Amino acid sequence: MSERATLTKDEVRELFSAYQAAGGEEERAGYRERLVDQHIGLVEFLARRFRNRGEPVEDLIQVGTIGLLKAIERFDLDREVEFSTYATPTIVGELKRHFRDKGWAVRVPRRLQELHLELTKTVGNLGHDLGRSPTVEEIAEAAGITEEEVLEGLEIAQAYNFTSLDAPIDAQEGSTSFAEQLGSEDEQLENLEYRASLAPEMAKLPEREQKIVYLRFYKGLTQSEIASRLGISQMHVSRLLTRTLAQLREALEES
Amino acid sequence: MEQITIKIPASPAYIGVVRLVAAGLATRLSFTIDEIEDLKIAVDELCAYLTGSQGRDGDLEITFAIADSRIEIRGQAQLSPGQKVRTELTEFSRMILDTVVDSATLQQADGAPVFELSKVKSA
Repeated sequence: MSERATLTKDEVRELFSAYQAAGGEEERAGYRERLVDQHIGLVEFLARRFRNRGEPVEDLIQVGTIGLLKAIERFDLDREVEFSTYATPTIVGELKRHFRDKGWAVRVPRRLQELHLELTKTVGNLGHDLGRSPTVEEIAEAAGITEEEVLEGLEIAQAYNFTSLDAPIDAQEGSTSFAEQLGSEDEQLENLEYRASLAPEMAKLPEREQKIVYLRFYKGLTQSEIASRLGISQMHVSRLLTRTLAQLREALEES
Repeated sequence: MEQITIKIPASPAYIGVVRLVAAGLATRLSFTIDEIEDLKIAVDELCAYLTGSQGRDGDLEITFAIADSRIEIRGQAQLSPGQKVRTELTEFSRMILDTVVDSATLQQADGAPVFELSKVKSA
């Protein structure tokens, strides 16, 4: 890591010459590693452009690094382009493919974005006005759309990632620990018990997801109650919960 | 009770369809959003036992029945022979299901894994 992004253009070209001329795999691996170190900053920069799509940036950097390795493998020194120029589309392509493979569109279609925003707002307002969770009929009437559109909107929200839309609230939560977020000692004690029962799968979850699972299944709060307690929308709670349970299921299945 | 039956490939990719039908029927019963989301969590949880995370060779036949303020869902896996399906709920699944629906079971019935759940509208 010592020579990270410190080489000049010419030195990068020399490194490529050496890499391509190298005979043994061990020698090639050494040069390859230096080339990766040199360009990991580019991968990080590009990966961060995708950070609002719900995948941890560290994972995206790994995916981007695969793209970088492919670009290193294919780079032709005879080309008159700099390696970073050549590698960018390959890295971005790898990141886009990652999202496509996961079944998520890289861009959420405009119609769905609008539907999502409308539903989030309406569910929140109605819940507040009614003092209870609204029905689909009530939401459809308030939003001026059909019941089918409401159902579609609720379901489709699961498939897409609206992190960017929900982001301002996420940012506030920051790094407070799970224990800190839960007030009383009683709650902390229960928390210990429940964490023990599911560990280590549970411990791997982000703090907020742990808290949502805890509040829903151990404290019996409804999704709407959790939403107002955490200051996020009910739809966001639903999405996080559905995804988290799927992750836990997979983790338990593997173990 | 009025019934609707659908058949899907035993793959997690199609569980969303089951969720959607369940939500559509719950809407007819004027379930609240919270209740619908809970129902969908139960559907996810139980269907996942039948499909596994990677999907299995065969189909799931899902029957929905509604009456008054109750929805009942029964899912039966019709798989090609030799595929093992766990029909014992984990403690965690049990806790999830107890929280979100009124009753839920998973068992072997006539040699096929079957789940049943029911949820009653609260108010």
